Formats: sequence, C-alpha cells, structure tokens
Amino acid sequence: MVKRVVHLIFLTILLLQHSCMEWDYGYVEEFDTSSSREGLFICNEGNFQYGNATLSYYDPATRSVENEIFYRANAMKLGDVVQSMTIRDGIGWVVVNNSHVVFAIDINTFKEVGRITNLTSPRYIHFISDEKAYITQVWDNRIFIVNPKRYAITGYIEVPGMTMENGSTEQIVQLGKYLYVNCWSYQNRLLKIDTETDQIVGELEVGIQPTSLVMDCNNKLWTITDGGYEDSPYGHEAPSLYRINAETFTIEKQFAFELGDRPSEVQLNGAGDKIYWLNDDVWEMDVNADQAPERPFLPYNGTLYYGLTVCPRTGDVYIADAIDYSQQGMVYRYSRSRELIDSFYVGITPGAFCWK
Amino acid sequence: MRRIFVILLLVLLPCVVGAQEEPTRDWARRGINIADVTVYGKRPMKEIGAQQTRFDTLMLKENIALSMADVLTFNSSIFVKSYGRATLSTVAFRGTSPSHTQVSWNGMKINNPMLGMTDFSMIPSYFIDDASLLHGTSSVNETGGGLGGSVKLATKPAQADGFGLQYVQGVGSFKSFDEFLRLTYGNDHWQVSTRVLYSSSPNDYLYTNRDKKINIYDDDMNIISQYYPTERNRSGAYKDFHLLQEVYYNTGRGDRLGMNAWYINSDRELAMLTVDHGSDTDFENRQREETFRGVLSWDHLRESWKIGAKAGYIHTWVGYDYKRDVGNGIMAHMTRSRSRINTFYGQVEGEYYMGDKWLFTANMSLHQHLVESKDKNIVRQDGDKAIVGYRKGRPELSGSVSAKWRPVERLGISAVIREEMFGRKWAPIIPALFVDGVLSERGNVVAKASVSRNFRFPSLNDLYFLPGGNPDLKEERGWTYDAGVSFAVGSKGIYSLSGSANWFESFIKDWIIWLPTTKGFFSPDNIKDVHAYGVELKVDMDVALAKEWLLGLNGTFSWTPSINEGEPRTLADKSVGKQLPYVPEFSSSVTGRLSWRSWSLLYKWCYYSTRYTMSSNDISLTGKLPPYFMSNIMLEKSFSLERADLSLKGSINNLFNEDYLSVLSRPMPGINYSLFLSITPKWRKQR
Repeated sequence: MVKRVVHLIFLTILLLQHSCMEWDYGYVEEFDTSSSREGLFICNEGNFQYGNATLSYYDPATRSVENEIFYRANAMKLGDVVQSMTIRDGIGWVVVNNSHVVFAIDINTFKEVGRITNLTSPRYIHFISDEKAYITQVWDNRIFIVNPKRYAITGYIEVPGMTMENGSTEQIVQLGKYLYVNCWSYQNRLLKIDTETDQIVGELEVGIQPTSLVMDCNNKLWTITDGGYEDSPYGHEAPSLYRINAETFTIEKQFAFELGDRPSEVQLNGAGDKIYWLNDDVWEMDVNADQAPERPFLPYNGTLYYGLTVCPRTGDVYIADAIDYSQQGMVYRYSRSRELIDSFYVGITPGAFCWK
Repeated sequence: MRRIFVILLLVLLPCVVGAQEEPTRDWARRGINIADVTVYGKRPMKEIGAQQTRFDTLMLKENIALSMADVLTFNSSIFVKSYGRATLSTVAFRGTSPSHTQVSWNGMKINNPMLGMTDFSMIPSYFIDDASLLHGTSSVNETGGGLGGSVKLATKPAQADGFGLQYVQGVGSFKSFDEFLRLTYGNDHWQVSTRVLYSSSPNDYLYTNRDKKINIYDDDMNIISQYYPTERNRSGAYKDFHLLQEVYYNTGRGDRLGMNAWYINSDRELAMLTVDHGSDTDFENRQREETFRGVLSWDHLRESWKIGAKAGYIHTWVGYDYKRDVGNGIMAHMTRSRSRINTFYGQVEGEYYMGDKWLFTANMSLHQHLVESKDKNIVRQDGDKAIVGYRKGRPELSGSVSAKWRPVERLGISAVIREEMFGRKWAPIIPALFVDGVLSERGNVVAKASVSRNFRFPSLNDLYFLPGGNPDLKEERGWTYDAGVSFAVGSKGIYSLSGSANWFESFIKDWIIWLPTTKGFFSPDNIKDVHAYGVELKVDMDVALAKEWLLGLNGTFSWTPSINEGEPRTLADKSVGKQLPYVPEFSSSVTGRLSWRSWSLLYKWCYYSTRYTMSSNDISLTGKLPPYFMSNIMLEKSFSLERADLSLKGSINNLFNEDYLSVLSRPMPGINYSLFLSITPKWRKQR
C-alpha cells in the first residue's frame, strides 16, 4: 500500500510540474536603416505602471513600419511610459518617464550606446553642447543638468515658486544662449534660462497649464494651454494659444478657445512658418496670421488624437490615434492636400514623434 | 485545455480505482473522517438554485502566512490578480473586473467605496472562519452590484470550553516572520476570542531581471558588455499587524449576541518595477493603512422564524507617500496622498418558514460612506497652498425580499426582488429567479438554474476623483444566466465524491474603464459592452486508501471567455469580439491532501492560461503573459503531548522555481520555504 501511495505522489508531482512559462529571452535582431533618407520614430507610452512602452520606426519612402525596435535590437524592455525622443549627431535620446532613465541609441541600428539613470521623472532632453544637456522633470522642482558623454548628472537648476509635489518643467526651445521652458502641471508660466550661468533670468505668466512649446521661423514662441479642469483648486479657464516674442519675452498675441476645449500638441512644419495643433480636429495656422482659422485642417472623425507631427521635408501631417489606449495605436499620414497617404499600427498609446 | 483535462483525469483516476479495490473496508472506526453524502431532500431552503463554493477549515487554516488571496488562488475557479507578494491582490469572477466582486465581512460590505474593489492580500485567512463564494446570480441573494459574484467572509464562535490558547510561529525565506496568537474562553453562554497576527519581511527575493540589462562601459563610456542582472525585489518590505476581538453571548433561549472588532495596521512599500532604473535608496514608495471594522449583531431565533439586526462601523485611513532623496539625504515628497473613509452600517433581516414548503426572507441594509481624499498638495496661482482632492458622502441602501418554495422534495423554486439606492439614485428593480430539482436520487444528481438582472453603481472615485472623476457616469448593468448539475456519491468512512458543472452567461452594458486624456490624467467612462460566458467544473473527493491512509482531492476548472461586444471606437479598433485584457480564458486548481496517522502532505497546484495585455489580443514581445503552473507543497506532523498539542509544518512555495508573472513588470518570488510551529497548551488537563 505504501508503495502505491508513493507511486501516486510521484505521478502527481510529475504531471503537475509539467511545463513552465514560455519565455524566450536574449534574442537580438540586427537593424540597419542608414540607407533611408528620412525616418520617423514613434514613442508609444504604453500603460502607466505596466512597463510596456515601445519604440516604432517608420520609413516614409517605403511606407514600412517596424515596431518594438528597442526590444528587438537590445533584448530588453524600453520601460514605463516613454515620453519623448531627441536626436543629436546620430544618437537618439529616448526619455522614459516612469523608469527614471534616458536611453541613448544608435538611430540606424537602434542599439543602446548608453543611458542616464536615476532621474526623478524625466520629460524632455535638450542639448547645449556635446557635454551639456538639460532634462526637464515632473514631480521635481529642478531641471537636471547632465553630461551626455559621461551619462552623468552634473547639476540642477532649481525653479523658484515650485515644490517637488507641484514641480513641472516640460519642453525646451533655444534662441542664442537662452532657453525657454514651459511649466505645465499646476503651473502657468514659461521660464527663460541663461545657459552660460544656468540661472533663470526671466518668467512669463501665461494661462493655466501650458502644454507644449515651439519656436517659429520668426523666433516667436508658441505655447498652448489646456486651461486646467473643472473643480481644480488651481483654476479652470478657457485654454489659449499664445504667440510670444522670445527676445522681449512678452506675449504678442493670444488666441482664445472655448471653455472645455482640449487643445494640445503645438507643432511646426519644416520651414517653421505654419503651426499645427490638436483640438479634437487637427488645426493649421500661418505663424503671421492675426486670426485663428475657422475650419480645421483635418476634421474630427470620432476619436481623440493623442499625438501630432509634421514631416519637416514634405509637410505631410502624421496624427496618432490611441484608440482605447490598451491596444496598438494607429498613425495616419496625410498629405499637405489632406489626402490619406498611409496608415499603420504602432505600439500602445502613441504620443510623441521624432524625425531622423 | 486538453492537457488540463488529461492531468485531472490522471490524478483522479488512480484514486477512484484504489478506492474501488477495497469497497467493503470501513476505516471510519480507525478515526478517518469521511462524511456521509448529503441526502438530497435536506438541501437548505435558503440555498435553492444557488451556485456556491464553500471553503473548509483545512483550506482557511493551512498556515498563518496565507491571505485570502492565496486561499482563493489554489482553491477556487476565480481569478486572482496579484501585483506581488504582500501586494495588492484583487479577485474577479467569470471574466468580470475586481469591482464587480462584492465582499462582505460578517454581513458588512467591505469593498473600498472609493475604488469599488477589495484588496484580498490584506485579509489573513487565519482571521476568517467561514468563507464562501456566491457565483453570478447567486450574489443577488446577499447584495446588489455583484456582476461577477460575491465573497462572504465571516468569523464564528470558537466553541471553546474554558480557556484556550494557540500560538503559531512562522519563519520563512526572505527573512519573513509571522506570529499568531489566539486566546479563547467559552462556556455555555459566552464565547470570547482574541486573535493577533503580525507579519513582516524585507521581501527582497532574488530574481533574474530579463526586462533590463546592466551596461559595462570602458573608460570612454563605450558599452563593452551587457547582462541581465540578478536583482532583489526592491522596495517591497511589509509589516502588517492584525487584531481581532470577538465576543458572543448565547442566552440559550434563542437569542445570540455578537461583537466583532478587527484592527489593521499595515505599512507596505510598493515594489519597484522591473523596468525601473532608479536607485531604491533614492526613492521611497510606501503605502500605510489603518483600518478598524466593527460589527454588533443580534439574532433572535424561533422554531419557524428568525429576526436579526446588525450595526457596524468602518474607519480606514490610507497614506501614500512617494519620495526621493534630493541629494542631501532629505527625502522630499513627490506625492503625498491621504484618504479617510468612515462607513456606518446597519442591517435588519428576517426569515419565516411557513410549514416545510415555504420560506420567506426580507433584508434591508444601509451603508453610509463619508470619504475624504487628499491627493496632491499644490501652490495656487495666488501663491496660497491648496489640496487637490474631494469630500463626499453617499448612503447606499439595499433591500430584498424573497420567497422560496419547495412544493415537493425534488423541486425548489426561489424568487428574489432587490432594490438599491446609492445617493439619490435608485436602481431599477433587480429580480432573480432560482430553480433546482433532483434528477436522480441515485447519485444525488441535482440540476440548478437561475437568472438575474444586476446593477453596479460607479465608485466614489469614478464619480468625483480629482482630476478625472466623471459625475455623468451611468451605472453598469446586466443580465446573468446560470445552469448546472451536481452530484454526490459515497459511503461513510470509505469514500465520498461530489462534483458540479455549471454554465453561465452574462451581458454587461456600460462597463466603466479609466482612460488617459489629452490633459495628462485618467478619466472613467462607460466604454464597453461585455459578454462573459463559460463553464465552471468542480470535483471534491475523499478516499480512505488503506489503513490510516486518507486522500482528499479538490479540483476546479474554469473556461471564461469575456468578450468585448461594444461598438468599435474607431475604424482601427481591433478589440471588438476579443477577450478582455488580463482575464484568463482558462484556469484550474487542484489540491491534494494525503494523511497518514499524524502526518499530512498537502500539494497545491494552479494554472492560468495566457492573459492578454492588449484589448486587441495581440501578443507582443513587451506585453507577454504566458500561461503558468504553480505548485506548492506542505508537510505537517502533529504531536499530542501531555501538556500541549504541537504541530510542525514545512512548506515549499513555487516548488519548481517557476519564472512567472501575474502582472507585467511585477516580479514574483521563485522557490521559497516556510516553517511553522504551532503550540496549543492543554489547560484543562493541567488543572
């Protein structure tokens, strides 16, 4: 009897141990996109706290897309919520917000060449030189100064009037030795920073929560506010688009939206003479216009667009549809004449673009 | 799936064959306890047509380190989504979401009114004496809003005679320590019990992190090598303290009074993701909770009727802190979130038996929630400080009446009407109809069927959370259908075998989902229509294999497609007709217990099929959750000494060192060990 029981136990254990989770690790793919004249990187945020952010690459000439290129080229994950990407001298700097890291990758092979770690909650990176860059943060009242060559944090610019809890610095543009930064979450201002002294030399109050920032061909800054939200203790107002004289650091023109509108994603074309933004529809406006357009460039088609970019060479407009934010998003490519040229699936929640 | 059937068959077959070889032997006189099969005519009137899973003491009191999440994982067909060891664990029935599972403790609803769900990792199984699952329609008998079902948890009088004491010490891997003490006193009228549990661990288990690589640079900062690091689970420490005081008084003349008070003090770090490149010494991510739950109860029992009343109170304080070292050793707050919940509870209920063919019941409960959420400290435009959060109160009234009729012994019919009011909104009438009938007296084959409507009101965060709360949300609503058949055969002291097979179908409309917005925060909306259906199988068997050998087996298997049947959000939407993310289509569990004299060997096994992480059911390299099997084993030896009963248990969890994930980027522990020593002094003999 004992023998039978022992046999039974062994049989049971044998059967129940059968198979393990089907993992396949370590396989690295080789890419070489050096022959493509232009290329578009798409930053797919993924889902917060799930670590499933990805990077896609689109070749406009061949209309081909490669998804999950960071994972495929490096056999590791990109991280949790990729926020933005900036290219300098053949290296792409991919900012992964909730992984506290900025990866540096070869833009042709997608292989990692280094990384800056232990950042608070990085949003955007802007280069001053080969050995100096700034990284903005949310939930931190400091802009980090880094040495990209050594992948090291070398200092901070502390922003006055901000605590860690409501700290938020976002996109950066440069004119001469000055940088301009929009402060977004529970903020209402732009900063002017002297890159030689790393000091904040000016502040400009705009509307509630300026979300993005670009500089046009006339050296004018454009920012768009989202107006906050209903019942926010910080306030709720109609959003606005602002044109700002960078040299005098004063508001030149304010284009007001309706209360409840959700404008975002100010972008420029290659020449810097037209701006684009999302507000349910896709809008286009000449940078010298005195009035906002009455009709959109591309009308709303029943989905909330999450990302926008314009090809600097052809002027093609790319918009990202996150669909339900839990499946592969779709990117639509339209020509200047508003014709749909192509559409392709990318990763979950495509939010930001970067041209090669 | 076929593999699961084969495994179940192979495990069960030898046992049945073994039992049939010696059908006439009766081991009961040697102390083996196999109960006789329940006679069909004695099926309780209150459970007509109900699909219910009960957990016995052996499952609940397996060891002091287990939470109810662990018990449900290995002993039921419902899906437990665990974010790690001693970390948030939610349960969901039949492809629904955790907020569709209603949970009660001694009659009082304990779902967090802000989130709508319950964290089962915070419920130690040693604090629960009676647990059962009410699947689908059956939950309407107890409460509304259980679109998937409900979990009933309760404590019971210890049935002590004089003073009693039990002390259990547990020591495990990762410097885990668990200590449990129970003091009891009882006589003919009074039953008093005090339970204390303290669990702590740095919880820093090792795992190979294949989600990231470590770089090795040369002097010029060129990468010369990369490797997958072997890391510890970073920032996962916990310290949980539980105290449960119970007093029961039985007049002996049909009145029973009870008092239950449960205090929880929990301090848990929230472990870093596998893809986190921050330093664990520079970041602190911690959640602290203090909860008090108290229930006073009175039951008045007579031969043909019963009335009861309950009053209760819940206070919960949750503090969440996310900090980082700003370079000078000072940890500065990035997020400082506080929430406070006060819930007042009252309930009256009555039952009346009219002869032996009719039972009427009525029940009315009220939960009044007062909630304060402080999520973020900001500086306003005028320079003043302000807090982002909300304060709200909401009464939740739920009442039901039912009539249960058993015209003949073989047939039972039950009708329930429930009505609910949340805030000022009334739900439409929630009806439920249950039928059961004996198909065959031989084998006690009983067929059951039921149908119900159901509603779930949005949680307070769904409606009011800042930012993103949506006060215009509609309630989730649906119809559920159940049908099944069960059997029970056996012979007292030799074997017992019972099983059930149930089919269910649910249609849920206006399913609430939180989605990102262009403003950088999430907001809920009524997004999906879901069709959840499937089959649940259950087998329980006890066999006296030979002299003093007893084998017990419990097995469950579920097939739970949960399909998005809403309209596509855009032309590119691939989610329609697909399984919901993070809901396994197949799951199974088997528990086997082999006893010989004072030795006991327990083997637990569970299986979850692939869980999709995308609503389109695409499987990507970065979004893969393959199926996994999990095995735990435990060996126990009991000693009966002159002055005390001792028990020594050793357990091995994740026996085959499975590399598995329940949620993306949340590492789970590999093989780990625990040792438990239990001492129960024999006071009465000493006197």
